[in-house]
Amino acid sequence: MDIIRKKVNEEIERGWIGSNRECPYHPCHFVNQDCSLCYCPFYPCNDETFGWTLQGRHGPVWNCSDCLFVHRTDVCKFVLSEIDRIGIKDAKDPRMKDVFASAKEKFWKKGKALMVVGATSDAGKSITVAAICRILHNRGYLVAPFKSQNMSLNSKVTRHGAEIAMIQVLQAKAAGITNPDAHMNPILLKPKGDTVSQVMVCGKPFADYDVEGYYNEFVPGPGIGIVKEHVDFLKNRYDCVVMEGAGSPAEINIYDKDIANMRAANIADANVILVVNVEWGGSFAYAIGTIELIPEDDRKRIKGIILNNVRGDTSKLRSGADELERLTGIPVIGIIPHADVVLPSEDSEALRGIRTKGEGKCLIGVIKFPRMANFTDLDPLFLEDVSTVFVEKPEDLEGVDAIVMPGTKNTIADYFWMRKNGIADAIRKLWKRIPIVGICGGYQMMGKTLDDSNGIEAGKKAVYEGLGFFDNITRFSEYSKQIILNEGRLAVGDKGEITGYELHMGISEVNESPLVLIDRFHMDPLQEGSVREDELTFGTYQHGIFDKPAFRKYFLSFIKHDGRPIDAVVTPDYEETLEENLKKLAKVFEDNMDVDKLIDIAGVRE
Amino acid sequence: MSILILGTSSGAGKTTVCAMLCRYLKRKGYDVAPFKGSNLSLNSIATRDGGEIGIGQSFQALACGIDPETDMNPVLLKPSGHGVMQLVLNGKPFMDITKDDPMDREMVMGEVKKAYDRMTDKHEALLCEGSGSPVELNLMKTDIANVGLMRATGIPAILVGDIERGGVFAAIYGTWRLIPEELRPQMKGFIINRFRGDASILKPAIEKIESLTGMKCLGVLRYEYLRFPEEDSLSSSGGKLEGNDIHSAFLSNLDEMIGHATEDGFDFRSFVKMTGLH
Repeated sequence: MDIIRKKVNEEIERGWIGSNRECPYHPCHFVNQDCSLCYCPFYPCNDETFGWTLQGRHGPVWNCSDCLFVHRTDVCKFVLSEIDRIGIKDAKDPRMKDVFASAKEKFWKKGKALMVVGATSDAGKSITVAAICRILHNRGYLVAPFKSQNMSLNSKVTRHGAEIAMIQVLQAKAAGITNPDAHMNPILLKPKGDTVSQVMVCGKPFADYDVEGYYNEFVPGPGIGIVKEHVDFLKNRYDCVVMEGAGSPAEINIYDKDIANMRAANIADANVILVVNVEWGGSFAYAIGTIELIPEDDRKRIKGIILNNVRGDTSKLRSGADELERLTGIPVIGIIPHADVVLPSEDSEALRGIRTKGEGKCLIGVIKFPRMANFTDLDPLFLEDVSTVFVEKPEDLEGVDAIVMPGTKNTIADYFWMRKNGIADAIRKLWKRIPIVGICGGYQMMGKTLDDSNGIEAGKKAVYEGLGFFDNITRFSEYSKQIILNEGRLAVGDKGEITGYELHMGISEVNESPLVLIDRFHMDPLQEGSVREDELTFGTYQHGIFDKPAFRKYFLSFIKHDGRPIDAVVTPDYEETLEENLKKLAKVFEDNMDVDKLIDIAGVRE
Repeated sequence: MSILILGTSSGAGKTTVCAMLCRYLKRKGYDVAPFKGSNLSLNSIATRDGGEIGIGQSFQALACGIDPETDMNPVLLKPSGHGVMQLVLNGKPFMDITKDDPMDREMVMGEVKKAYDRMTDKHEALLCEGSGSPVELNLMKTDIANVGLMRATGIPAILVGDIERGGVFAAIYGTWRLIPEELRPQMKGFIINRFRGDASILKPAIEKIESLTGMKCLGVLRYEYLRFPEEDSLSSSGGKLEGNDIHSAFLSNLDEMIGHATEDGFDFRSFVKMTGLH
């Protein structure tokens, strides 16, 4: 406590500084945060709006790591001026409590919620939420994305070690939030097989459910409470929570069991915007049908319609939009042209056939496992001057200059898929001749043994022989999942910086040279991955390894096309590409949308 | 006797469902033919009478066991880029439609109606296919193949909705809702296409849509992994026929589809009745 006291006293003496862009940790909470009160003068405030008590090793600890209140500029300025006015010189001054009370009274209010629902699955909800997050963020509002329930195999790991959907992480980035957390996606469904999903609650495995069990047990049981708790948490901390629905909100056969759409809007007391994808046609029917099938009490929440993804002249739709407004009494607040942006997408259509960027200097074969997971790992690679082919049968490997074996939701099942259809043999023939990289599940398969003697991964107790490219043994000894966010560098090549995250069942005993070195607090770096440069074989657990340029550059340097190195010009850090594209996306929406109306609907205007 | 198959969007499955129903009627011994008032497509074929029609109708003709002819698709619109559209009328290139030189909609509708009449005179049953969504509020006034044909001929209609993307009940109800009131009595039924799973969970929603619209649900068609020829650029089925004899492959796929539909309780009887056959 003495350290905090000393720091706060320094802050009092220093006065208001605004954003401290010199700080190596900046921005530790959100873009444009105020750093004047880096150490909170009110700690511990013991106000449950902002934090809660943790049971620590040495007794209870006040935890307010998610609180953003003292990082708002107006709050900082007010607090410092009050401290000055009253004449407080020391953090321990009992009058600090009064300053806290008056600051809370003056500046804190519960945030608003705005929800984006879509008439269909690919209506463009996710990017609309991202665009709205950025538009509000640009206007100085503190915004958080939220999706109560997300079904996705593309997830990321938060600073707190929780697993949440990739798309909420992207939306948080659009909102300028540095540390997305599990409150933003409290329920994550990861499809395992035909109808069963692993349900993750707050970023941790909760249980497996089939469709019926999910709707009849989970939803009416813990489900509703989970949604309420987390949306409330965010409303206490942000000006606006921009929520995303799932699928269509008008699936009237499951309407009462749906906690991802209008039920969530009710829980959060959110106004709702309906997004319709115009591309396939029928958008007016989808819009009016969705609105009118929603029961009247809920329907009242729908305050705006966005016609999205228009190819060609948007003005051609205006007359139809006017008619739609007249029929539904709900304004069409945006007619958005197709936005040509590079952003990660859940769209599995994108994983078809061959795609080429630039001249396509080489051909990379990506093994398309039936249970492929975290396929957005590969997005940064697609930005390079390469062609990519998705490999579903051995012939697809013809002419490839390199192979990527991505992650999978079930290593053993997909390994068998690959052995049965002959892809495994085809890969074995190419081994040592062209570079092969395995990530996560793909990496596990490259070892000599997959030990599932407890039947954890595949349900059957057995030990399997892997591809044998590495001398590694992966053991699935217990039902536990590694969820870790990492920073570090390559152990090879130019030793460049990398970031990554691990999401896997099973632990590998590695008997190879490491590919990466992971930073650890006050300890030597942790060796991870495997590499045999002379055999052109690489493997790692790090999802996102392609994000930073270092590994892309390293991997591409081994690729030859027609016997010659491909001389790749590596694109920048993927995060920068995303940032540019989020800007572009927000601009497309801003230019084609009534932003004033949006802010009214969000309810955030003072 | 005739019936019009409408879709809630492009790629809802109109062409394939239409072909399946053609095949069904053909197998039942009816003299049936396909028809599409107006087609927006770059995929066309040459007919024996020296004209050009959309590829969808040629495959449907195959399902009917007859030769494709120009009257099956009197209007073919071929986008040629830069806002120019070639109008193929009665199988022959007629004009380039541009912003400054629009199509004479009345004249064209008249030709469509004549082709329709010639086809109904010649065949016992005509299975017509709509184009895109019938209720694009900005285009409805000038529509030909959907509400245009309904208005001109009084033909009964069945609506196909694609459940794969979600929102199918909204799409079916919303389409019916936006059909001009005087034409709504012609809306007889609907079909839910591309379903995966146990269709019994849809029952309460289907009943609700039936009671709201008065349309009857003819059935829920399962997601078919079979391959069918593609027409729309937006088709998501990824259908391409492969092999030496695509014609027989196509017919056997339709037969398989009829088999699945029968197994799943598709109400062919009501369909036949709606068409005005017995």
